[in-house]
Amino acid sequence: MKTAAYDQNNRKLMVMAVLVLLAAAAYLMINVNLENSRMFAYAMKIRIPKLAAMGVTAVAIGGASLVFQSIIGNTIVTPCLLGMNSLYTLIHTAVVFFAGSGSILAVNTNLSFAVDLVLMGAGATVIYSYLFKKTNHNILYVLLIGTVLTSLFTSIQTTLTRVMDPNEYDSLLTTLVASFQHINSEIILFSIVILGAVVFALRKELALLNVITLGKEQAINLGVDYDRCIRKLLLGVALCIAVATAMVGPVSFLGLIIANLARQLLRTYRHSQLIAGTICFGMVVLIGGQLIVEQVFSYGIPVSVFITSGGGCYFLYLLLTNRKV
Amino acid sequence: MIIKGLTKNYDGKKVVDDISFEIPRGKVTALIGPNGAGKSTVMGMISRLIGRTEGTVEFMGKDIREWKSRELSRKLAILTQSNHTQMKLTVRELVAFGRFPYSGSRLTPEDEKMVDQAIGYMELEEFQDRFIDELSGGQRQRAYIAMVIAQDTEYVLLDEPTNNLDIYHAINMMKTARRLCDDLGKTVVLVLHDINYAAFYCDYICAMADGKIARFGPVDEVITKENLSEIYRVDFEILEVQGKPLSIYY
Repeated sequence: MKTAAYDQNNRKLMVMAVLVLLAAAAYLMINVNLENSRMFAYAMKIRIPKLAAMGVTAVAIGGASLVFQSIIGNTIVTPCLLGMNSLYTLIHTAVVFFAGSGSILAVNTNLSFAVDLVLMGAGATVIYSYLFKKTNHNILYVLLIGTVLTSLFTSIQTTLTRVMDPNEYDSLLTTLVASFQHINSEIILFSIVILGAVVFALRKELALLNVITLGKEQAINLGVDYDRCIRKLLLGVALCIAVATAMVGPVSFLGLIIANLARQLLRTYRHSQLIAGTICFGMVVLIGGQLIVEQVFSYGIPVSVFITSGGGCYFLYLLLTNRKV
Repeated sequence: MIIKGLTKNYDGKKVVDDISFEIPRGKVTALIGPNGAGKSTVMGMISRLIGRTEGTVEFMGKDIREWKSRELSRKLAILTQSNHTQMKLTVRELVAFGRFPYSGSRLTPEDEKMVDQAIGYMELEEFQDRFIDELSGGQRQRAYIAMVIAQDTEYVLLDEPTNNLDIYHAINMMKTARRLCDDLGKTVVLVLHDINYAAFYCDYICAMADGKIARFGPVDEVITKENLSEIYRVDFEILEVQGKPLSIYY
């Protein structure tokens, strides 16, 4: 059904896409030496992979957050509840604690990415596929388990940092905040391949998202194999978050913000448009944030500071204005 | 639809205990009974929303569990009590979801026609572009009914459709159920709390108590002073109004 609202949203998305392109162009071109071609090539070599990483992050976090909210049927839940952030923090702390900050596991970015991905992927599969079945497809139990695990991981991590050598802790700290500084193109390419595989495997379930948001009973009434569908989607969400977190660090809070911005702008139930909108917002926020970090504060402040403080204010605003929560 | 030996246990407690009956095709059947009698649970089990412990539910020659969910959704529709969504959805978009079992998310011109008809049938034309969450309870209920009509199934199951509706809307709801049966030839099954709605607008009544069927049969046979007093454990008087049994309880 093509309605006026649908066309209007498509126009809004076009504007968003133009904004994304403008932001990307600004990010690549500001303060670049255009006369010296070797300087230019050098700047591009640094900036293009970062831009690509931001794109991948926006797609993974944005898409996963929106799908996650629709599965739960609540627009202010954040996929932080899945515990991937704290698992990431714990893995990195444990590596530095047991193997030392000079070990190959901590120094080699490709290796540490692989370790993160394998552990988080395995964790996600166990928790969100196996346990979901065990609890008779009760999604609230699974979320509760996620929250409990988050506290568990965080307490172990805090204990480790308490007894850690302060110098080691100093070097650890830089890896615990989200940043786009240490990403190489192999990691980006690998992430794209995994994300592509997840989306491909879930293509049928993604098409059912509109119906799923009507609620469990309505979805079953309309012929959706609800439990199986939710299980696959939940696993996919956890994997996407795992990929993005392994790549840039804990950023899943970003998802809450951009998904809600998209919902507010588009006011629709169509997930194709919502997901596109969320990704656009994700790109604009990340690129804009990174631009400020690099050009205004000359790398003095990590981008996650902006995301968390800005996002926190927006979250409060949502809680205060949206009485139907 | 033939139900045999249907049983549901929750933590070892029998909520529905060995129920067998046949839902008459092309008629309106009401499930009535006191709170906790298991009416909604039966409704959930015969519509595949709730799993069962024992028994069979044979629907058009095949057990309901052996049907493909998508195919079943073209033959049988269920509307439960609690319907709310966080989504920004207009009435028309909601009704269009009724066509999902046939065409998925891409509606054909024929689907659009069915949606128009369903909206017309429930007299929702003037609301069709309003958002669901901006409607009153009665209007929203009608929108959901329109969706079930657009789903165009032979069997329509409604779980407490008159809940939270005032008398005017509740009566209209019952008249709609009647029209679905008389005009469109559908088999309608309702869970009702009000005995008089059941007596006035339904053909058959299945009265339940303590997880068992207390009485099942045509309205006149079930709605008697003795039966109702036994099922509800309060005193009843039955008057006859317009040839239908009207029950008064005190």
